[in-house]
Amino acid sequence: GVFAHLEMLEARAHEAAVKQEEMEQQEEKLARLRARVEELRLQRDELRAKVDLQEKGQLGKEGVVSKPAQPSARAVLEWKIKSIKAMLEVFYLTGISGKLTKQGVCFCISTAYEGTYLDSYYLDLLTKPEVQIYRHSVPVFIPLQQIAKKYLQTDIRRFLSVLYDHLNAYVGRRYQAEQLQEHFSDQIEGTVQRNSLCNLLVFNYNVSCKSRTFPFNVRLLYGDLCCSLPTEVVISCTPNAPASLAETAAAHSDLFRRVALHRVFGFFSSAEGSVD
Amino acid sequence: MDETVAEYIRRTILRIPRDEIKTMLHKWGFLSEMQLQNINFHQIKENISQDVVQLCEENSADIKQAAVLDIIYNHIYPNKRVWSVYQMNKTGEETDFFDLKDFKKKFKRLLRSALKNVTINFREYEDNAIWIRIAWGTPYTKPNQYKTSYVVYHSQTPYVFISASVLKSNLPLLCQALLVASNYSDIREMELRSHSLNSLKDIVFKRYSQNFQTYYPTPLQERNVTPESADIRIIQENKNERERIQRVNREVFGDGPQPKLEFAQYKLETMFKSDPKMDVLDKREPFRCLVKFSSPHLLESLKYLAPAGMADAPLSPLLTCIPRKARNYFRIREKKGFFPGSFVSP
Repeated sequence: GVFAHLEMLEARAHEAAVKQEEMEQQEEKLARLRARVEELRLQRDELRAKVDLQEKGQLGKEGVVSKPAQPSARAVLEWKIKSIKAMLEVFYLTGISGKLTKQGVCFCISTAYEGTYLDSYYLDLLTKPEVQIYRHSVPVFIPLQQIAKKYLQTDIRRFLSVLYDHLNAYVGRRYQAEQLQEHFSDQIEGTVQRNSLCNLLVFNYNVSCKSRTFPFNVRLLYGDLCCSLPTEVVISCTPNAPASLAETAAAHSDLFRRVALHRVFGFFSSAEGSVD
Repeated sequence: MDETVAEYIRRTILRIPRDEIKTMLHKWGFLSEMQLQNINFHQIKENISQDVVQLCEENSADIKQAAVLDIIYNHIYPNKRVWSVYQMNKTGEETDFFDLKDFKKKFKRLLRSALKNVTINFREYEDNAIWIRIAWGTPYTKPNQYKTSYVVYHSQTPYVFISASVLKSNLPLLCQALLVASNYSDIREMELRSHSLNSLKDIVFKRYSQNFQTYYPTPLQERNVTPESADIRIIQENKNERERIQRVNREVFGDGPQPKLEFAQYKLETMFKSDPKMDVLDKREPFRCLVKFSSPHLLESLKYLAPAGMADAPLSPLLTCIPRKARNYFRIREKKGFFPGSFVSP
């Protein structure tokens, strides 16, 4: 029945958490063992050096015994810290990292777009009595509740993956809009109008044709919230624009659909009609 | 130019601190650079406002432009008003392409269809905040520009911040207009009120500092290891306890500044628990009591209660849950269980 199902889901979540903890313990253990190896090696070198000295006999005034390597404890600690930092860096670079807490697990989703690291968002989850969100820092316009309703109880991995896609796509769209505003403000009339999700962007730019300029109005609709390219592009121009501009509009429209927004203007010189 | 508009502009200028008047007029952009240069901003405010009104007369200002000046003033000094937070719900799951033009059109249309005499102004800001100023009139009187309602809305969010005026009767109409324009199906008032608009935003948008436990190092700030005192003969007796309190406090409140709230109110409707032999009350009915905490900055003061030794750490969850539950008005009823909290949302 339902309860059996719930129990099974709870068991699954528990299993996943346990597995992760095991993995982390393994890695910790490995780091410790490595440090131990290092420690022992240093000790061995120390002893070897001592043995050599013994064999060579007493030293004269000249030879000053260079003390063997510094107390190894500090070196070992530094090495440990370095290797843990590297491990954490790896977690961060994968985009999703988690830490077990007293009541459940806390995830950190680090977003990026084309190699630039952007914002990080956090989710504090409880695992008992069922998986639920205790608190979070996800922006309010991301449909978190919807995604949670669909996947949180049944498939945590999928939940995280879908949320990850939403967040990355959002920061990607925002980044493109900001870059466009910053680097091509001279080619755009006014500002880029956007909304919180950056899934509707509207702006105007001028296109010249036969030594006259015509304003183009662009509406970019991003129907797929997990995607950082528009699903629909609507370019409109004034009624008195020459018919040849329709081709230009179509070409531009195609570009907007395929190329990241902040790079589109770089392509315009190669397409028909030049942009002022 | 209308007499009432002139008076309105004059009064608005008088509210602005003298040093800020020039910047605000710049932002307003209604008077030209030349005109602004001709104003002596070192004279007394009454004279400055007279000069400004004179120039507005030359430019034939109407109420719409005067209203924009009012919005600018309120945007820079939002803390002079009390803001309430409303939450909207929608039933569908479709992706919403929020179109600003569409929103404004629908909002105006709904309000104007119900009320002929109303002044509506919009102003958008960089952070996707839409400010709406509404001056209400009646079927027989012109809109009262001095009793305005302000609405702040961020697109594609379910929260609206409203600073209503005395005219509560217009609230249902305002709510309806918001629902239609933003494409939501119902709206309710949350139990969250404050003078600080930005703090309210921080709370519902989850922008305040929450201490999430993660592995990824936000670099551990060198915690100020100020030597307790130069004299080593002085030792801290309860150092462990102090450190425990610091740790618990950090877990609960986080490291950053707290959102600014002025009060928290708890309405208790719980039974008086006494020794059954000492029947204090004849009837077994709930003891009604109102507890109100006020402070210029409530959450910061709660944060320092334990370190200052005035309360035990951890603090009662009734106090610490305020940002997480996004409410500062609580009703506590009797509950069959160990924790007499009800967190009823009306």
